[in-house]
Amino acid sequence: MLVPVFSVVGFLSLYPTIKGFILAFQNYTVFTINRIRFIGWDNFEEIITDMDFLMILWNTVVWIAVSVFFQLLLGLGLALLLRKPFKGRGLYSGLVFYPWALSGFAIGLLWSWLLNGQFGIINDVLMKLNFIEEGIQFLSNPDTAMLSVLIVNIWYGIPFFAIMCLAALQSIPDSVYEAADIDGANGWAKLVKITLPYIRPTIISTVLVRSIWIMNFPDVIYGMTRGGPAKSTEILSTYMINIVYYENDYSKASAVGVLVILLLLVYTILYLSFSKGGEVEI
Amino acid sequence: MDLHHVHQTARRGVHLSHQILAFKVSFESYRYLFEFADFGKYFLNSLFVSISASFVSTIIALFSGYVLARMHFRGKTFLVIFLFFVQMIPAYLLMIPQYSMFSSFDLINRLTGIILVYIGLGAAFSTIMARGFFVRIPVSLEESALMDGCTRLKALFKVTLPLMLPGVAAIFSFSFVQNWNEIFTAALFLNSDSKMTVPVALYSFISKAGIQWNVLAAGIVVSLIPTIFVFAFAQKYIVAGLTKGSVKE
Repeated sequence: MLVPVFSVVGFLSLYPTIKGFILAFQNYTVFTINRIRFIGWDNFEEIITDMDFLMILWNTVVWIAVSVFFQLLLGLGLALLLRKPFKGRGLYSGLVFYPWALSGFAIGLLWSWLLNGQFGIINDVLMKLNFIEEGIQFLSNPDTAMLSVLIVNIWYGIPFFAIMCLAALQSIPDSVYEAADIDGANGWAKLVKITLPYIRPTIISTVLVRSIWIMNFPDVIYGMTRGGPAKSTEILSTYMINIVYYENDYSKASAVGVLVILLLLVYTILYLSFSKGGEVEI
Repeated sequence: MDLHHVHQTARRGVHLSHQILAFKVSFESYRYLFEFADFGKYFLNSLFVSISASFVSTIIALFSGYVLARMHFRGKTFLVIFLFFVQMIPAYLLMIPQYSMFSSFDLINRLTGIILVYIGLGAAFSTIMARGFFVRIPVSLEESALMDGCTRLKALFKVTLPLMLPGVAAIFSFSFVQNWNEIFTAALFLNSDSKMTVPVALYSFISKAGIQWNVLAAGIVVSLIPTIFVFAFAQKYIVAGLTKGSVKE
């Protein structure tokens, strides 16, 4: 009964991963399909000497760090608010968790429309309220584009942290809090001394899984800016996809993919050794 | 009431009618979407692809999840960890090698091809989720059925599977949402007009010169409806599957 899952995974995940590593050292483009050969490290050289490569790396770091930090902060806050039962909690948490089910790409498109500099609704409202004289080019200005995609991504990712933190919070026995009440602990002390230590393993594993996931999440950016303007919102994943769609250089894109996998491995090892393990659960 | 006031009121009236008119125009873009942009076709493609792939990966996951939860054998932990790592590999990293593999089988630009890709993307995580649900169903229930003379298979179908229904709902809906929303592999694989899924169609709207924002916005709204429904129906199962489904024993 295990044969189906492992043949599917073997054919459609494992084999392609290995093939991706091989393609990275070849010259597979749309134009060379019949003349594929090994070209050594050329693809990697081309990527690393790309003038924008350092900026793309930096964007990736900013994208992950800022998104995860605020998603954790706001997700945890939300979970704390939703922990105790109140009237309409089910409906409320249902609404709060909704972004999770929505397509990141469609949400990105929707926001690019709302934020449009000429006829976007947000500029329209700001102008009607006389906050601004003329439309702000949120997404076509490199200075504001990254901030805009980050805000949307943070909003989009809060539910996942909230769901995880909420589940962890609900596993804390009430008796612990009752004992703290008897000892006269105030709300802050309870948060720092009981709640956070209890859910620490969940936070550690969720931050790891989410940072990997966010690095590999080009959907929102692709819907909003496709990595532009002037690569100001380009991260490694959008960079790779743009190489596939616009340069049709599949081997160069594979080389980016190999770099992504290596970076993820290094990151995971470093993270786990610094956070002293922490049970890995999803 | 002096003339000035009358004039103003009249203007307001005109303004109001403009707004009402604008509202009508927005329905117009839905009509355009389905009549001229053939969005109904893409919607059906998406439904077909997402449902088929989710169905198959749920079945696969039920078998393997059951084995990984109930049987004891050497290397089991390794297999579970292996699946855990596999499900972390994102779609866009696999799409090029898959593209090169699938072109040799003539599966590019076919819905079958993209269904296969989605089964591959979903199988590992669905299995992890299924295993989590099976682990939480007490073995003792099955054992007592076995003692009463049930065969193992009968015990599975009569006792465990009915208790597994929330798990099935969670696995299927989770995978449906993932499949419905996937864009990058679909955009690479499905390049003919009649084969596009909804996200690919939205993408083609923006890549064409001169975006019609009203039509695009209507398309986005329509594209969000199915997952909103699925989530409304399966939210509590999905949340249970995400949080408890994969916790270690």
